[in-house]
Amino acid sequence: MSAANTEVLYGLYDDEEILLEAVKKAKEDHLEIMDVFTPFPVHGLDPILGLEESRLHIAGFIYGAIGTLTAFLFMTWVFTRDWPIIFGGKPYFSAPAFIPITFEVTVLMASVGMVVTFYTICGMAPGVTNATLDDRITDDKFCIAFNTNGASSDVLDKLKGFFSSTGASEVNSKTI
Amino acid sequence: MNQFTLEARHKSVLIGAVILGVLCLGLTFLFYDDELHSRFWSNYLHNTVFFTGIAFVSLFVLAAFTTAYAGWHTVFKRIWEAYAFFLIPGLVLFLVIIAGIWGHFHHLYHWTNEADVATDRIMLGKSGFLNKYWYTFGTIIIMGTWIFFANKLRSISVEEDLHGTTDYAFHRRIRRWSAAFLPIAGFTSAALIWQWVMSVDAHWYSTLFAWYATASWFVAAMALTIMTLIFLKSRGYYQNVTDEHLHDLGKYMFAFSVFWTYLWFSQYMLIWYGNNGEETIYFRTRLDEYRVLFFGNLLLNFATPFLVLMRNDTKRKFGTLVFASVICFFGHWWDFFLMIKPGVLHTTHEALAHGAEAAADAAHHGGFTAGFTIPGLLEVGTMLGFLGGFLWFALSRLEKAPLTPSNDPYIEESLHHHV
Repeated sequence: MSAANTEVLYGLYDDEEILLEAVKKAKEDHLEIMDVFTPFPVHGLDPILGLEESRLHIAGFIYGAIGTLTAFLFMTWVFTRDWPIIFGGKPYFSAPAFIPITFEVTVLMASVGMVVTFYTICGMAPGVTNATLDDRITDDKFCIAFNTNGASSDVLDKLKGFFSSTGASEVNSKTI
Repeated sequence: MNQFTLEARHKSVLIGAVILGVLCLGLTFLFYDDELHSRFWSNYLHNTVFFTGIAFVSLFVLAAFTTAYAGWHTVFKRIWEAYAFFLIPGLVLFLVIIAGIWGHFHHLYHWTNEADVATDRIMLGKSGFLNKYWYTFGTIIIMGTWIFFANKLRSISVEEDLHGTTDYAFHRRIRRWSAAFLPIAGFTSAALIWQWVMSVDAHWYSTLFAWYATASWFVAAMALTIMTLIFLKSRGYYQNVTDEHLHDLGKYMFAFSVFWTYLWFSQYMLIWYGNNGEETIYFRTRLDEYRVLFFGNLLLNFATPFLVLMRNDTKRKFGTLVFASVICFFGHWWDFFLMIKPGVLHTTHEALAHGAEAAADAAHHGGFTAGFTIPGLLEVGTMLGFLGGFLWFALSRLEKAPLTPSNDPYIEESLHHHV
């Protein structure tokens, strides 16, 4: 996610309630949080961090609309122009018969499109390994990370003081 | 403010609506009707079915959510308990239709004409189910059962407020009654929809019609719940019902609008593909003579809620939510209009023409018929009357207990609901 060789100071918390309080405190103290990692979605974290709503669903709508048009127009072209066949005495252009496939292609395009978009944005793909701060943040630890590139020892002390005052169970630094 | 009182001003608005409704029904009966009064009777049946169904769905969602261990709705579940009590006036309204069948006051159902049934193989074959005994006792027994369950869920819930303890014995009793109600609700609602609505077209049948009609009721019930809650919030009640609860109600309205469309399309496509004459006639009539209703139905009940409610924030803003609720509520009333009116008009033409060929002729060249081809002002007035009566009854029930239950095991979860 981040550029190579970023020095990170991070604190691990045992509980999401303590984490939420700590994030609030960091915002009050105007500390610039690089990222927060949790093993599961924590309710109320996004508004405190001030994260914008994802625009992934707008992309999803566009993919879906493309799917609708693709399927419907393709079938219309096939059954009226390219290869007209009479099925069960129905007219060539039989819209009700096209609807199930139109629906399926809409869902397929929207879901696959959103998955691919999401993976691309997050820099994830088969075979790509991303640096992790600590394996336990995917298990039972809640993490607040600060970017400490070129930070003075005063700043580092302030951050460490913040971690100990908000109840972090562990404070580590790592270059990723 | 946990205790609701219906202000005198609002009560007079609701009573005024009821008077308007009675006036519209009276005007329809006296001046704007054919000699069989089919417009009056079909309006009466249409609104009775629609509002009774909303009461039934309210009871059903209470039972379903309780059985599913859902907690988010607990804060406002008294609204649905109050809605469910409209089943009692609903039964009274149906008794009038039943009396009409026995006394031959109306010609809503072709199968009530014994002379026609005797010579008609299809209606004769269905006469084991479509007869006035089944209609009468089916309606009374099944609606009586629903009222029994509505009363149970409500009385235990109110009792829990007073005597509930942390062993949650009352909630477990509610859970048992809810679970018992679900299979009963599933089968009985279908049976009543066949009798009340589908048998208007006595020759026609569709196996998924019951689900289709129930989905229609469901969306209407959610729309009415949203509008009532937002109104009560604006009067200072239910401040503990937040955007989060309304967001979930909006999701239900959105999801069941799509579900309704799925059933609408499935019913249409199977009949269109099967191309079986006695089934396709249903849609042939509606496509030829009720085009505005037929396509308006899709516009109101699918396109509008689908496009308006798709986004996250439109389900959290009162303006868009109320807009979609009004459209959905009216739209599903319109949907029931389309289920009932063409069949009644056909039966009326047959009864008036005293002969099948003349009837077929009249039915297919009828052109515009006031109160049937599209809903007129009298129909809208009648609907407002029933709506006023429904809300008057429900809000009077709402006054009788605290708005938010206490001692319910899920109340804390519901108060802190977060989507």
